[in-house]
Amino acid sequence: MELFDYSFFASAIRMVSPILLAALGGALCARVGIFNVGLEGLILAGAFSAIVGNYYSGNVIVAVLTGAFGAVLVSLLFGLATIKFKANPIVAGIAINFLVLGLTTFGLRAIFQVKGAFYDKDMNGLPKWDLPFIENIPMIGRFLSGHSPLVYTAFIAAILLYIFLFKTVLGFRILAVGKNEAAARSLGLKVTTLQYGAIIASGVLCGLAGAQLSLGQVTMFTEGMTAGRGFIALVAMMLGQSHPIGMIGSSLLFGLMDAMSIRLQGFSMPTQFTAMLPYVITIIAMFFLKDRGVDSQASGQQSSR
Amino acid sequence: MNLQRKIQQLLKPLSQPLLAVLIGLFTGALAIALIGESVIDTYKVMWDGAFGNFYFLTATLARATPIILVGLGLAIAFRAGVFNMGAEGQMVLGAVCAALASLYVPGSGFVKLLSAFLAGFLAGGLWSLLAGWMEVKYKVQLLISTLLLNYVAVLFAGYLVAEPFQDKSGSAALAQTPMIDQAVWLPKLFTGMSVHMGFVIAVIGAVVLYVALQFTSSGYEVRMLGKNPFFAEYGGINKSKVLLFSMFFSGGISGLAGTVEVLGSQYRYVEGALTVPGYAWTGLMAALLANSNPLGTAAAAILLAALQTGAMGMERNTEVPLEIASVIQGVLILFVTAKFTLNWWKVKKKASDINGAV
Repeated sequence: MELFDYSFFASAIRMVSPILLAALGGALCARVGIFNVGLEGLILAGAFSAIVGNYYSGNVIVAVLTGAFGAVLVSLLFGLATIKFKANPIVAGIAINFLVLGLTTFGLRAIFQVKGAFYDKDMNGLPKWDLPFIENIPMIGRFLSGHSPLVYTAFIAAILLYIFLFKTVLGFRILAVGKNEAAARSLGLKVTTLQYGAIIASGVLCGLAGAQLSLGQVTMFTEGMTAGRGFIALVAMMLGQSHPIGMIGSSLLFGLMDAMSIRLQGFSMPTQFTAMLPYVITIIAMFFLKDRGVDSQASGQQSSR
Repeated sequence: MNLQRKIQQLLKPLSQPLLAVLIGLFTGALAIALIGESVIDTYKVMWDGAFGNFYFLTATLARATPIILVGLGLAIAFRAGVFNMGAEGQMVLGAVCAALASLYVPGSGFVKLLSAFLAGFLAGGLWSLLAGWMEVKYKVQLLISTLLLNYVAVLFAGYLVAEPFQDKSGSAALAQTPMIDQAVWLPKLFTGMSVHMGFVIAVIGAVVLYVALQFTSSGYEVRMLGKNPFFAEYGGINKSKVLLFSMFFSGGISGLAGTVEVLGSQYRYVEGALTVPGYAWTGLMAALLANSNPLGTAAAAILLAALQTGAMGMERNTEVPLEIASVIQGVLILFVTAKFTLNWWKVKKKASDINGAV
């Protein structure tokens, strides 16, 4: 068995997409000064509502849309708590994670009358798209092509977000809010509207991440199926300094590590250490990155600084 | 007059958590009604599952034990104004080190017991100190580093019990250590009931911590740092020292949570036995719910444990799923935070008054 082959890179790219989508959502929130710890809950809400939409409509597009919608509803609750009621975003985010975990499992019992996992063979998963031209490129074509549309969406969204944040007026306004809320407000920017906008957008992105999880590989929902991906996305966001291109890099790192730890199980090597690697790398990286820009004030932590 | 003011002072911090609990229970009622069950009956079954008879009551207290200790540990950190999110890793490392100490330290049962407690406390404390040190020395954000260190600690503990220290005696190769010597077991408080000596330790810990925070000068320094770091520094408090000190104790007490769970109920370190029930996160919620008051944290921990054992009883006897407990908890914390920040905002405002601008 070889360590690196086509299926290794293909699975790495597949694993990247939910992390990248959620990290982009988290970054948008961070850029308007809200540290969103509730990504995990938002993804889970997206995954569950996507399955609900799929079950009742039988249409994949409707399913993805309901996934996004479900996550947006939860993100609005988060926004209401943090913006309107001035709740501590970290605490509210943790609450959201617990709330969604409970609600989805509860919904599984209430809607589908099952426990643990829901699977129906009549449900359609996301299609696999082969990219014209690219699939014919020797070597890389085979693992770049043949993924679900949401995988491509993740990378396109990152590039679009980069253009939006750094090349448009609205993007600059968002950056201004994150840099200094009071100053942005004094300039007459609609800070609250921008914050709600960012939170809704992050709901959409996390909803897509969830849809990729529940509809991408196997079409099913299991309790707590995010399995910490929201927190990994948070870490990818920190490592990528909330910069879209940086986050593509950090998410790719996590995807590769993820694929690697699965692959190394075949080599009778303790998987715990390979699974540990991304976190250790991130901790080491944080020594060098420290606080540049948003994250220091965005977390709202009353730190020793 | 004086008495009235005192009562008011006592009740005021209680009003917001109680309101949050009511909103949580109301949301739970909505969910129960939604799936067509009787709200009153379901809550009655839930109450019985948590406090209905002596057995259930002791089961609730046994579940509350690690939650109280984790909550107390986090309360120290929160009081010092640092967001320690690493209770899970600190607890797990404490548990695995305590199990290994009681297995491999030579000597009598008492020596083993003592070294297990010491190992549990030190493992949790030093792991937490690492995050504190990175924050003080290199300004690596503590909130993130503690979160990351959780994964590292849990995976490392998983490796220890899956490879070098795995229990090879049984037929099935489970990820767990061998069983510890019976002489090291913490005694049960009542025969046949699951609540053990650890609960007494946790309650004593809550009282000691309350007194220490309220009436000693180190406690004053910790609280001062959390309330107003600028004033604390102005008043000659060594910020870094107090932060490291509170992180060490915060992690150490979380480590003790793992220790008493190993010595009092599992009698070995089993992978996932501490992480799957979410003791660390529930402890975090207890500390938040009580606004980091040690006595309140203990009470909130028992309340949250009762919610969980009650939900288990409810699932056995009704059609309502267990997860309603998570829904109630989630809503509860969501609403308690509003107050949390209200206080926080006041603190910030005071700080800005002193410094001119923030």
